[in-house]
Amino acid sequence: MTRHVTIEPVAEQACDSEPARGMDVQRVLVLATCALALLLLPFISSEYVLTLAVEVMIAGVFASGLNVLIGYTGLASAGHAMFFGLGGYGIGIGTAIYGWPLWASVPVTLVCVAAISAVVGAICTRTRGVEFLLITLAFCQMFYGAAVKLRLTNGTDGMAGIPRPDLSWLGLSADGSIVFYGYVALVAVAALLLVARIVHSPFGSVLIAIRENERRAMAMGYAVGAYKIGAFTLSGVVCALAGILQAQYTYFINPDSMSWQSSGEGILMVIIGGADAVMGPFIGAAVFVLVKQGLSLITGEYNLFFGIFFMLVVAFFRGGVVGAFRTLIGKWR
Amino acid sequence: MQMFFLQFLNGLQLSMLIFLLAAGLTLIFGLMDILNLAHGAFFTMGAYAGWLVSRMTGSYWAALLIGPLVPFALGALLQSAVLQPLVKRGRSTHLDLALLTFGLLFATAGTVEYFFGSSFYSIPTPAILSGRIAMLGIDYPVYRLFVIGVGLGVALLLSLVIDRTLIGATLRAGVDNREMVTALGININVVFVIVFGCGAALAGFAGVIAAPIMSVYSQMGIGIVVTTFVVVVVGGLGNLKGSFYGALFVGMTDTMAQAYLPEAELFAIYVLLVGMMIFRPQGLFGSTGRVA
Amino acid sequence: MSALEVRNLRKAFGGLEVIANLNLSVPAGQRRAVIGPNGAGKTTLFNLITGWQPPTSGEILLHGVPLRSGRPDLVTRGGLSRSFQKNMLLDSVTVLENLRVACQAADRSRHSFLRSPASFPDVRRKARRAAEKMHLDNCLDRTVNELSYGQKRQLEVAVALCAEPKILLMDEPAAGTSPAERTNLIRLINELPADLTIVLVEHDMDVVFAICDVVTVLSYGKVLATGSKDEIQGNPEVIEAYLGKQHA
Repeated sequence: MTRHVTIEPVAEQACDSEPARGMDVQRVLVLATCALALLLLPFISSEYVLTLAVEVMIAGVFASGLNVLIGYTGLASAGHAMFFGLGGYGIGIGTAIYGWPLWASVPVTLVCVAAISAVVGAICTRTRGVEFLLITLAFCQMFYGAAVKLRLTNGTDGMAGIPRPDLSWLGLSADGSIVFYGYVALVAVAALLLVARIVHSPFGSVLIAIRENERRAMAMGYAVGAYKIGAFTLSGVVCALAGILQAQYTYFINPDSMSWQSSGEGILMVIIGGADAVMGPFIGAAVFVLVKQGLSLITGEYNLFFGIFFMLVVAFFRGGVVGAFRTLIGKWR
Repeated sequence: MQMFFLQFLNGLQLSMLIFLLAAGLTLIFGLMDILNLAHGAFFTMGAYAGWLVSRMTGSYWAALLIGPLVPFALGALLQSAVLQPLVKRGRSTHLDLALLTFGLLFATAGTVEYFFGSSFYSIPTPAILSGRIAMLGIDYPVYRLFVIGVGLGVALLLSLVIDRTLIGATLRAGVDNREMVTALGININVVFVIVFGCGAALAGFAGVIAAPIMSVYSQMGIGIVVTTFVVVVVGGLGNLKGSFYGALFVGMTDTMAQAYLPEAELFAIYVLLVGMMIFRPQGLFGSTGRVA
Repeated sequence: MSALEVRNLRKAFGGLEVIANLNLSVPAGQRRAVIGPNGAGKTTLFNLITGWQPPTSGEILLHGVPLRSGRPDLVTRGGLSRSFQKNMLLDSVTVLENLRVACQAADRSRHSFLRSPASFPDVRRKARRAAEKMHLDNCLDRTVNELSYGQKRQLEVAVALCAEPKILLMDEPAAGTSPAERTNLIRLINELPADLTIVLVEHDMDVVFAICDVVTVLSYGKVLATGSKDEIQGNPEVIEAYLGKQHA
C-alpha cells in the first residue's frame, strides 16, 4: 500500500519546462480572425446584424469588467449593474444637467465611478463568499433606489437624449449605425486590451493568487485588501464604460439598468464565457445576446426562460464555452 | 410623543415581518450553508397562494393556513430534486448554489407574471382584526398589532423548539457535525428537505400576513428580500438570535428614517450595514476569531 | 540579539488561556523545534508570531523590532516567513507560477499593473532558485493539482522560502508524508543555508531530532523546558506532561 515516491524519477519524466509556443500561435490566430471579422462585418452584413454586434460588444465590455472580479479575484458580485448604471447616469447628468460637453463628461464620470467603486469596494471586500454576494446586491439596490427617488435622475422615467460622440470633425455622424458600430468596436477593443494587459501583469497574478488561496497570498507578503479594492475599482470603471456605451446606444438611461436582473445578466455572461479567459466574457456576451434575441422571438415570458437558462448554466456549465471547447480539443488530441 | 409611539409600532410591525423572512433564510443557511437568494420568491408565492385561497373560500384564516403549504412543497422539492443532487455531485460550492437560486428568483418572478399578470391584488383583512384600537392617545390598526404578535410568537416558538426540544437538538448537532447526526441513525437529507421546506413556508407565511397591508404583485418579494439580506448580514449569517435583533435594528431604522429623515429613507439601512461592515464585519452575533 | 524573541506573551480566547506568560528566545541561525502534547498551544503560538492573531498581551520582537499584529503580510516582508500544516497552495496554477508570485511579493514589480511579469526576469530567476532548493526544478510547468503529496509538501516550504526570510517557521512540514518522502524532505531542509533561523513545530520526533539542535517543550501554554535532545528526553517534567504522572 505504501507509495514510495522519490522525487527524482517522477520529476524526470515530468518536464519540458520551456513554455509551449503552440499556445501563442493559436492565440495570435484567434485574435487576427476576430479583428478581421470586426473589420469586415459592416461590409457584409445587414443593419440588424450590426445592431446585434453593437449589443454584444457593449455586453462584452460589461462582462469583462465583471470578470476581473469574478473570474480573476474569485469574488462573485451580484451588484455590478450599479456601476453600469452609474456610467450612463454620469454622462446623462454631466451633459443634460451641468451642460458639460461629452468629452469632459466621460472622464469626469469615469473618475467619479472609480472613487465610488473604491469606497464601495473597501466596504464590500471586508466580506467574502456569499456575504460578499449579499452586500454587493444590497449596494446595487441602494443605487437603484436612489435613481428612482432622486430628482436629479428624473425617477423611473429616466433620462432621454444621452448624446453620442460628435464626430463632425471627421465628417462623420455617430447617429449612423456603421459609424456607431465603429466607435463601439474601437472602445470595446481598447477596453479589452487594457483589461487583458492588467490581468496579465504582476498585479493580475496577485489577483489569481487571492482567488486560489487568499491566506497564502497574505502569507506571501501581499496586502490582499488593497489588491481586492484595486480589482473592485478596475471592474467598476470598466462596467461604467459599458454603461456609457449602452446609454449612448439607446440615447437613454433609466433605473432598470441598475436592477438586480441586470447584475444577474452580467454574472450569467461571465459564467457562460468561462470564468478565467480574457475572450470568455465576449463569447459569453455573444451567446447571451443571441439567446435573448431568440427568446424574445418565441416568447414574451423573458424572465421565466431566462431564469431557467441561468439555472441550467450554473448547474451544468461551469467551465463555460471556452472551457468546454478546451476539454473537447483536449479529448480530440 | 404620540407620533413617535406610532412610528415605534410601525417599526416593530415591519421588523416582525422581516424577521419571518430572515428566520427562514437563517434556518436554511445555518443548517445547510445554502444562501437562498430566491427567498423573496417564496414570500411572493405564499402571498399569491393565500390570495387564491381567500378568494375561493372567503376566509383569511384558510389562506393563512393553506397559503404557506405551496412554498413548503416547492422549497422541499427544490432542495430534494435540485440542490441536494448538485451537492452530492460534489462540484457545486455554496456560492454556486447561491447563484442557482439567483436564477430561480428570475424564473419565479417570470412564472408569477405568466399566471397572474402584473396586476395588484389584495387579501381583505378579517373582520375580527379590522378596525382600530385606542391606546396611549393613538388609534392603531388591530391588524398591525396582530402582525407584531405573530412575529413575537414565531420568534418565541422557534427559540423554544431549537433550544428545548429533541428536534432542535438534532438541528444544532447537524450544524456542528453532520457525520455525527448521520451516525445517530438520522437521515440528515430528510432533515434538510424538511427544514428547507419550513424556511420557505415561513417566508410564504410572511407573504400571507403581509398581503392585507401590502399589495400582492409579482415583484413584491424583491424589495423586502433585499432588506432581509441586510438583516442577516447585520445579525450574522446563520444566527437566529442575530436575525431577530438584526430585524429589529433594520426595521426600526427604516421606519424612523422614513418618518423623521425622509431624504435619508433610502440610505438609512445601508448606512447601518456599512457601519456594521466597518466595525463588526462578522455581524452582531456572528462567530468571532475567524482567521482570514 | 535574538532573531526571534517572545516576551510575556498571553493569549486568551474568552476565559480560556491558551498561551500563558510565554517567553522564548531563538538566536540567529539556530534550528529550534517547538513540541508539546495536543492543546499545548503550538499552533496558537505560531499564529501569534506570524501576525494572524493578535496577542492578549505581551511582545514579539523580530531582530529587535516589535511586531505589528493583524498584518501577516508585513510580518512576511519583515523577514519571517511560514509554511502551513495543511497545504496552502495556488492549486490550479503551475509550480513556477506559485513560486514566481511568492518571489514577486518581495520585489518592486508587485506594484506593476501594466507590464508583463515576463519583463521582470529577476523574479523568475529567484523562483527557479527556490525551486532548485526544494528539488522542484524538474516539474516547474506542472500545476499543483498534478503533483504528488510529497512534492506539494516540498512546494509548501519552497513558497515560504521565496520571501527570502531570515526566520523560517514550519508548521509540521512532514505531516502526512510517507517515510521516503519524509527522508527526502529532511535532507532538503538540512541543506538550507546555515544562517537561516528555523523554528519547527512537529509531532514526529524523528523529524525533530533530524533537523533541530534545540527543543522547546510547551505544555498548557507555558514553556516546560528548553534544551538539547538528551536534556529533554531525561527531563521528568516533560515525561510527565506527555505520559501522565505515574510514569515520572
